[in-house]
Amino acid sequence: MCGISGIMYKTGRSRGSAPIGADLVKMLESLTHRGRDSSGVTVAGGRDEADLIIRLWTDDATRASDVLARSEEALLRAGGVVVSSQSWGEFLRIAVNYEGEIPALAEALLSAEGVELHSIGRVSEVIKDVGTPFDLDRRHEISQLKGTHGIGHVRMATESRVDISHAHPFWAYPFPDVTVVHNGQLTNYHKLKRAFEDQGHQFQTENDSEVIAVYLADKLARGDSLDSALRDSVENLDGTFTYLVSTEDALGYAKDPWSAKPLVIMETDDAIAIASEEVALLSVFHEEVDRVEPQESEVMTWSL
Amino acid sequence: MTARQINLRLKELARDGAEVELLNPQARHNIAVGILQPCRIKVRGSVGYFAASLMDGPEVTVDGNAGWALGDNMMSGRIAVAGDAGASVASTIRGGQVFVGGNAGARAGISMKGGTLVVRGNTGFLTGFMMQKGRIIVCGDTGEAVGDSMYEGVIYVAGKMGSLGSDARIDEVSEEELMEIWGTLEEFGISEKPRFTKIVSAKRLYHFDSLERLEKTVI
Repeated sequence: MCGISGIMYKTGRSRGSAPIGADLVKMLESLTHRGRDSSGVTVAGGRDEADLIIRLWTDDATRASDVLARSEEALLRAGGVVVSSQSWGEFLRIAVNYEGEIPALAEALLSAEGVELHSIGRVSEVIKDVGTPFDLDRRHEISQLKGTHGIGHVRMATESRVDISHAHPFWAYPFPDVTVVHNGQLTNYHKLKRAFEDQGHQFQTENDSEVIAVYLADKLARGDSLDSALRDSVENLDGTFTYLVSTEDALGYAKDPWSAKPLVIMETDDAIAIASEEVALLSVFHEEVDRVEPQESEVMTWSL
Repeated sequence: MTARQINLRLKELARDGAEVELLNPQARHNIAVGILQPCRIKVRGSVGYFAASLMDGPEVTVDGNAGWALGDNMMSGRIAVAGDAGASVASTIRGGQVFVGGNAGARAGISMKGGTLVVRGNTGFLTGFMMQKGRIIVCGDTGEAVGDSMYEGVIYVAGKMGSLGSDARIDEVSEEELMEIWGTLEEFGISEKPRFTKIVSAKRLYHFDSLERLEKTVI
């Protein structure tokens, strides 16, 4: 069992200043009973400080400054200009101006020893950690983050080990801004992963949910719309799933043909909130808002 | 208050047959569970999973929505939710009545062993899955696989119906049955008198009259 949540503010607020981080923390805290192993969020649309925001992790906090230096060197070699960089604990964040191809940049970063890549985004960044949403917020100050939209996850591990790498959201390497949170288990994960690897895709973890991110990003890269990619995923993914996807300018969900995992939605003129349970929606909305529960094989997208 | 504290207090009040109002439940799980005496519980707001489950006798009204498995394993009593209910509403109930004023999710009435489920709106995938006894009345539409693997019991659908589930078949609705359904609907404030499609078990999967292979060997 896991808990998922998502939120998007529409045109009512000045673009990029909505309390996405605070909303996601509230929603995830109310879903903690669905998973306490790890937590994570994607916050999108809040900053305009550079072409790309890169989130990295290293397994040894004492080496973080060395890893940061190596990452910056790798970015420079790839043609990037570092605008700002910071590290806390094992976590690193770099804002970089870069006009080249994203796969080349991602490869350059991964060639730096001790680096694990959590996300590259034009407008969004992934922050994830072991522990509860309360721990995540305390350590990474998620509540301070503003933006337009985002997704979040609390994990009760079933398919792969409990560590930061296997926490959600999963970023679709190397496609910027495409991230996914998933509740369920995919039974054709190994088959899909092998097929994508044969096509040259890289996987960062052994978690089944990562293949959803890669699947969607592959479809988007081929020119499909997000809506069409979500519809196709319902046919091509096997197992149980309700997942949310966040891209540069959109939010979406897909549900499996068995309707095995829950999802409820509330929408106002101002915002859309999506979560595993109503308790999470009520942490950001009032009860007067109508609730919708999507049924089997349903998909939906909202764009800014 | 925790859900356990709320339920203990409700049990205390139920002993005297009291009428209790529960405010601001915030869609929390396991509200009004295990109440075994007749009483009236009015819930102001939405409830989460397993609301009003494992109960015998109370009348529970919820003026918001309910999460998954509303009324699970109820023996007797009456539950009325004004809004929507999540998946598996009235799962395994053995008696009593469950009414949903809005829509219900997938597997509505799963494994019912008695009682009546009335849904004013639509139900989702696998309505009446593995039902063994009782009645499901859907005034709106259903999802796919209606009555899949049902043993006994009956499902009535007024709106558009998804595909029939495995081993389910359509049967004639008699005028007496229609009068009975309309009477039940009226009890829940529905004055419309729609016609219904009736779904029952085709009983092709019935093997209760034949012995298992190992049993035969023993005999």
